[in-house]
Amino acid sequence: MPGVSSDSARGALVPLSPESPAAAVYPLRHGLKSPISRLSISWSRGNSLRVSVFAAPSSDGSVNDGDGGKVVEVKLGGGDGEISEAHWRRIAYGSVSPFALLQSRKNAVFSLSKFSMNSSPYDGDWWDYIMEYSKDINALLVNQKSASVPVLDDPKSVITKGEEPTSLKAAWELLEMFYAEKPSHSWLPERLVDWLADYDSLFSGTHPTVHSKLVDFQKELVNLQVVEDDPKYWEVMSSALAVGWLNIVVKMLRLHGSYRLDQLSNRETENGLVEAVAVLISKMPRMRLEHEAGKLGECYKAKPDFVKAWEKWRGQINKLDSSAFWFQCAHQQTREGLRSMLQIMLGNANSLCSATYNWIELYISHFLYMRPLTVGLESMYSLAQKSIQLKPMASAHRLMGLIIGILGENTEVVLAECLKGFGPWMVAHAIELLTAGSDHAEMLLHEERQNLGGISIEELHRLVYAQVLSSFPLTWQIAPIYLISCMKHGMVLLQRLLSKQPVQDNQLLLKSIEICRLYELHSVTSNIMKIAGVHHWKHGRKGSGVFWLQQARDEYRLNRIALQLFDSVGKTISDESFKQWEGLIQLLGSDSKTAGGLEFLHKYRDFKKSLRQIHDGKATDSARQAVESLISLMKNPSTPQRFWLPLLYDSLKLLNWKERPLLNVSQTNLLLNKLQELSMARLRPDFIESELPPQALNSVRLALGTNLGRAILEE
Amino acid sequence: MAFAESQNPLRVHRIPQSRYIDAVRWLSPVSPSDRFAAIAYFDADTNSPSIEIAYVDPNPQSSSPTLTPQSSWTSPSRISSLKTAHSTPQPLLAAATFSGSLHILASDLINGGVMESEATVSELGFHSGPVSAVDLREGGTECVSVGEDGRVNLVSFVGDSSKLSYRRIFDANGLVGYTAVKWASPSEFATGGYGFGIQWWDQRTSGGPVLQFKGNWCQGKTSGIVHSIDIHPSRKHTCLAGGSSGTVFAWDRRAAQQPIVLSGAGTGEAPNSLLSESEVWEVQYDRYTRRSNISNISSTRILPVMICSEDGILAVIEQGKQFLKHNYYELDRTIAKVETYIKRSHC
Repeated sequence: MPGVSSDSARGALVPLSPESPAAAVYPLRHGLKSPISRLSISWSRGNSLRVSVFAAPSSDGSVNDGDGGKVVEVKLGGGDGEISEAHWRRIAYGSVSPFALLQSRKNAVFSLSKFSMNSSPYDGDWWDYIMEYSKDINALLVNQKSASVPVLDDPKSVITKGEEPTSLKAAWELLEMFYAEKPSHSWLPERLVDWLADYDSLFSGTHPTVHSKLVDFQKELVNLQVVEDDPKYWEVMSSALAVGWLNIVVKMLRLHGSYRLDQLSNRETENGLVEAVAVLISKMPRMRLEHEAGKLGECYKAKPDFVKAWEKWRGQINKLDSSAFWFQCAHQQTREGLRSMLQIMLGNANSLCSATYNWIELYISHFLYMRPLTVGLESMYSLAQKSIQLKPMASAHRLMGLIIGILGENTEVVLAECLKGFGPWMVAHAIELLTAGSDHAEMLLHEERQNLGGISIEELHRLVYAQVLSSFPLTWQIAPIYLISCMKHGMVLLQRLLSKQPVQDNQLLLKSIEICRLYELHSVTSNIMKIAGVHHWKHGRKGSGVFWLQQARDEYRLNRIALQLFDSVGKTISDESFKQWEGLIQLLGSDSKTAGGLEFLHKYRDFKKSLRQIHDGKATDSARQAVESLISLMKNPSTPQRFWLPLLYDSLKLLNWKERPLLNVSQTNLLLNKLQELSMARLRPDFIESELPPQALNSVRLALGTNLGRAILEE
Repeated sequence: MAFAESQNPLRVHRIPQSRYIDAVRWLSPVSPSDRFAAIAYFDADTNSPSIEIAYVDPNPQSSSPTLTPQSSWTSPSRISSLKTAHSTPQPLLAAATFSGSLHILASDLINGGVMESEATVSELGFHSGPVSAVDLREGGTECVSVGEDGRVNLVSFVGDSSKLSYRRIFDANGLVGYTAVKWASPSEFATGGYGFGIQWWDQRTSGGPVLQFKGNWCQGKTSGIVHSIDIHPSRKHTCLAGGSSGTVFAWDRRAAQQPIVLSGAGTGEAPNSLLSESEVWEVQYDRYTRRSNISNISSTRILPVMICSEDGILAVIEQGKQFLKHNYYELDRTIAKVETYIKRSHC
């Protein structure tokens, strides 16, 4: 048999294609002792495969422990390492309302723009809506297990640990800054600087980074007596300076030994130089709106102001670089370290290149010290290409691919990177940002494509995401939100999703019905109810079955099960079991339309009740009522023929009423006719004989005859 | 009738959980500051159901309260119904499962909330299929269980036998299914089921319910299921019920077959008397806000009622008011009410 290795006792599964280069073998522990005879594999919930292993029956026919079979669930894929499944679900649930809100706003904006031809749909509040959406989603991506923040500021702690960053959040922020904050494109380089400061550590896993070097140095710092003697101190500071982490650099500079009171007098010049560099760093002009409080650097919003300050600042650096004080500085490492930092600030390409560890860091350093006025994606893209050439990498981090795609203004690449790196959730939600301001992207993503079965890329990705949601029992109920936003196939898939839900669990059933109600899927509702009704009926819960079929107004099935019910009525509806039936008959209610053929049961109950009251001794009035019930039962076409004789036989007492005849001539005639009809029907082969004494028919006929005579006389 | 937001809105805290919450109940507090809750979880990833006792820390410093698990008990099947009896410091829990078993658990809140299974009924024939509801008699030693199979069982647990004995009070053979149950007195209880039916039982009377309520529902109204029943100790003549289509009604046993509809469609009143259109999972008399003046409310009036529904509405309904108070619960009032809310946002 293909797929099962010869060593079947261990039950190893081998991929079917032998030419696959990395054929992985995963042993399954099924615990069966006897050899496997059959194997069945099917999809279970979510990413799980259900492998059913059947053991061969033992040859001598004896039953041993470990015989039979086992079902093993195999979970495929470990998911995203940095985000737990529970966190993913929280993200999935949390993103529902921002998504739905944006869709309804989009629809409103769109329908409004139809009326006024000349206004673009995307102005006014549009950017606010997009930004609100993006911020809401971003807030969900905050890592739950954030590290504790120390209360006391440790002078020797150069990097503070905030929340643990995630690639997902980093990716979303990239998309947000490039697509949602469109009007502020000139601030993009500075936004990227901030972004790298937050997320540089993410690259540490696969590449050397400034952050990882800082973390390493931080560990050594505790044991260092004289920091300025350690070449790493200068190296790390240059690197941090290159990527613009000014606060860290200044803090580290102040750890320099020349600041110590006992050395201040001997190293006055040296200390002066260190402090001068520190001051220059903290005065660095930045072309940006504003800084977080406490961040070093001076912000300029207008380009001319910035250029003026920039020139002045560089002049000061040049002046310091060429000053004579360097010769008076005795400490060689300090002298060289500080001067190489000045080179970085002056934008020396070689210094920047050697101070950074990967192309993104180099890229950021170029923005900071060489081309702070870079504007426009085109020039940003070419600068990125240049950085990659200078610092080529064997493997690219998923965020790097995304950045290249964004800078290259290639929507398809961005989508592909989102999907590859971050999965269907990301794509389904990122498309909203991609299409926000770009007509080109909107056309590309909204165009209906033949090769996709007539749907757009946007719809495709929403459908894919909805499919993922539907396959997990904890998230299927939010899939409808995404499905209804799909114009072409959404509704059909929603109907299928709802019809597929199991009906055994009442809560799940009611949830499905609730969703149907929200989207006005009445036919699906009644289908689900029918399935539930038949399911309950089959499992002996007759009352529940009847209820659901009644709710579904399923006359056909109600009539079918009525026939089955009558069988048991004929046998069991005695006085003792009457209480059991009472509840069901109450459930059927008096509304005959929803009761189907079961209407008979209702009348039968009334008839039995009045008969019983006669026995209790409440004579004539009850007897009259019983006769009325009997006549209406016999007149009613829904009364099954096989009940005619038992009904009449039960009524013998009424027919032979002593005081006076209870039935008039026409009523008696009606019953006689029915009796005649019954006699004819008995000749047919499919007639079902009731379990009555053989003389029953004759005694009824006799009673009716007698009654007819008495009635004629009375009239 | 109309709805109005409460003048002083109460705060709702969300405590996201990574598992399904099938049921949640407060345990009676050991001291005013120490509050515990019993939560029935279902972990869909590992297919494992359990009941946990959690310490609820109101956490005044932080923005939201926290749940600290104290102890856990692994259930053989998902919990379909969970009830508690308010004895301190060792409250009893009755948990019924979808596989048709019933478990009596005892928790010691003073010694870290350790939970022990006292006794179990799981034999074949106790219920066929899931137990749909149980109720523990307050302070007593009896528990009543009902199912859609039409069985009504009375479980007594006296002494320390680990096997419980049960008595079949009634078996409707599936012709009627029961979905809710509530004790009214040491011998009487009420059950609810399909078609908004309510049955009144007296365990001294055998052979079926003493009284049945079907109600003269308005024409054309779709029927529904009773999910929850409550009976106020001081007004045993009235059964309060909540169920499908946002329906909340009361049945006064003295007034035969006419339901007193507090909320729901087809009541014949203005359509805005509909609080919610989805399933009302729990109804309970509001035992917190108006404790002092219950005696002032006429015995024909329905006391204020708390409800929670599938669409996440937690509300207090008052009969005969110009408006219905419609507000969110404070978490520490009754976690049970927040149950569905958490369920909706379980992640």
